[in-house]
Amino acid sequence: MSQGFLSVAGAAKTFGAATVLDGVDLAMARGEFVSLLGPSGCGKTTLLRIVAGLMRPDQGRVALDGQDITMLPPHRRDVSVVFQSYALFPHLSVAENVAFGLRARGAPSGEIAPAVRRFLDLVQMGAYAERSIKALSGGQQQRVAVARALVVGPKLLLLDEPFSALDRKLRETMQIDLKRLLREVGTTAIFVTHDQDEALTMSDRIAVMHRGRIEQLDTPAAIYAKPATPFALGFVGLSTRLAGTVTDSTDGIVTVATQAGPLRGPGHFLPGSPVLLGVRPERITLDHGGANRIEAPLADAAFQGARVQLHFQAPPDGQILVETPSLPAAAGPGTSLKMSWAIDDTLVYPAPAEAA
Amino acid sequence: MSTSRRLDPVLLLALPAVLYLAIIYGVPLMMLLGRSVLSGGTPSLAPFAAFLSDPFSWTVIGNTLRIAVLVTLLCLLIGYPTALALSRARGATQALILVAIILPLSVGVVVKAFAWQIVLRRDGVVSQLMMGLGLWSEPQRLLFTEAGLVIGAANVFVPFMVLPIYSVLKLVDPRLGEAAATLGASPLYRFFKVALPLSLPGIVTGVAFVFSMAASMYVIPNLLIGDRFQTLATLTGRSFLFMRNEQLGSTTAVVLLVLTVAVVVGSAALSKRLGGAS
Repeated sequence: MSQGFLSVAGAAKTFGAATVLDGVDLAMARGEFVSLLGPSGCGKTTLLRIVAGLMRPDQGRVALDGQDITMLPPHRRDVSVVFQSYALFPHLSVAENVAFGLRARGAPSGEIAPAVRRFLDLVQMGAYAERSIKALSGGQQQRVAVARALVVGPKLLLLDEPFSALDRKLRETMQIDLKRLLREVGTTAIFVTHDQDEALTMSDRIAVMHRGRIEQLDTPAAIYAKPATPFALGFVGLSTRLAGTVTDSTDGIVTVATQAGPLRGPGHFLPGSPVLLGVRPERITLDHGGANRIEAPLADAAFQGARVQLHFQAPPDGQILVETPSLPAAAGPGTSLKMSWAIDDTLVYPAPAEAA
Repeated sequence: MSTSRRLDPVLLLALPAVLYLAIIYGVPLMMLLGRSVLSGGTPSLAPFAAFLSDPFSWTVIGNTLRIAVLVTLLCLLIGYPTALALSRARGATQALILVAIILPLSVGVVVKAFAWQIVLRRDGVVSQLMMGLGLWSEPQRLLFTEAGLVIGAANVFVPFMVLPIYSVLKLVDPRLGEAAATLGASPLYRFFKVALPLSLPGIVTGVAFVFSMAASMYVIPNLLIGDRFQTLATLTGRSFLFMRNEQLGSTTAVVLLVLTVAVVVGSAALSKRLGGAS
């Protein structure tokens, strides 16, 4: 338990027959911003609640700043939470909401008003101090919730999908604002989200969670370039995926027989092993210049501004997706196109056993 | 503001209840009011002056208010934690508590009175319990005492305190308590600064229900304490039924009405002030 500002070791939680957290380890440095990314039911909110002290783990320890806090009640942890619903106190004004934590901790009354003003200004809500909570928009409530959580100077800030109720344009502005604010204040933060774009934009590191486990914990760039598992490949970013069987393995390069033809990629597998191949769509070019070459009929083209996303007809257990700067001339649905990519851009995984 | 202030047709659905109350309750009440200020055909406040100048009347008013306040406080003391537990409980536990609260309402007061006799008499359950705990040195009779009356009345009225508070508490977002906790608020601080202020509307409703019922109860005092102890309600009943003094009955009824309405309206206003100020 020595390593890290926050360290979670072997956290496990079951509800009845369902294992929600299956022995999770997480270590964070001071000032770091880590996202817990995963679909609903992956255990990310449970992990957040355990760190906040709102739930006891069945097993495992939580330590913060050198102190074991596993059994400490939430009000003695110095861990603030911004809830998905914001959970602002409806009977208090904006300023009273922000002052709540300082009052609860018995801060000297002379210090409360200046601190409240400073943090309301930081989230650009200074003009709304005397307003009622009910008179605020969703984005404004979210800012107040952030100010209320930060004003007490927590050791750790937990954010539980705080942007999910906002429309897309506002969400993007708020993400940038929040990241800048946290850097200014120097807060260590855990951010729970199911939105990969949000996680990729904001995080120093991302923990990809699946079925109660952290499948990969790494920087956004590393997770995108080298997803550790088929789940991480599928959940973070888009990909071309093809299933196949290893026919040859030489010098760390496997040859895989797929329905699109033989393909090669780095890896160590015994011949005969079922595997899954993945390629990021922007790594594929519409020519036969790369070592892995296939040809497939175009199904659909989605114009995305700077790029075009091409969907091809693929074998039933896979998908073929390519991103290029522009659509080739004379290509329409049904046109068969050549494409290729480098061996090193191929990701090879053991075939997921859970297909059934 | 631009919409015209025409009557919403849906409001007409309240018409049967309004007519019913007007005929069954409103008209007799006005007749009663009229009788209390019309002595010998001319309007006069003399009956009130006469009633209020009698020291016995003040004893009766004191009895009424004291019992009603004590019953309301006891119900609040028992009812609030129950409502809190009910709002947190789920599934079968919640159903069980709800049944335990609502089912006794189907048992008539006269039946309950038998139970109270067993519990409150000199060799009753309470007396034996207090003796066993060493709190009482000799057996005591609670039946036919004010304490017994308060206990019995609270027994009848406690659901009317629990249910309004519960219905408000269950709408309070449980995240609010969690948010307060993560901001550093102890359980006690959370209760007084979050749960309590947010449940004030329920408390006001419960207090209004229980206070007005406890101030105007007639059967329960008759069964539990008897004739020696008079409240405005029992005095009203005696005036009409036994003393055949309709003038006095009307006067006491109006005094009771004014007191009850004043307390209920006053407590609502007070709680609004408290809720807005903190």
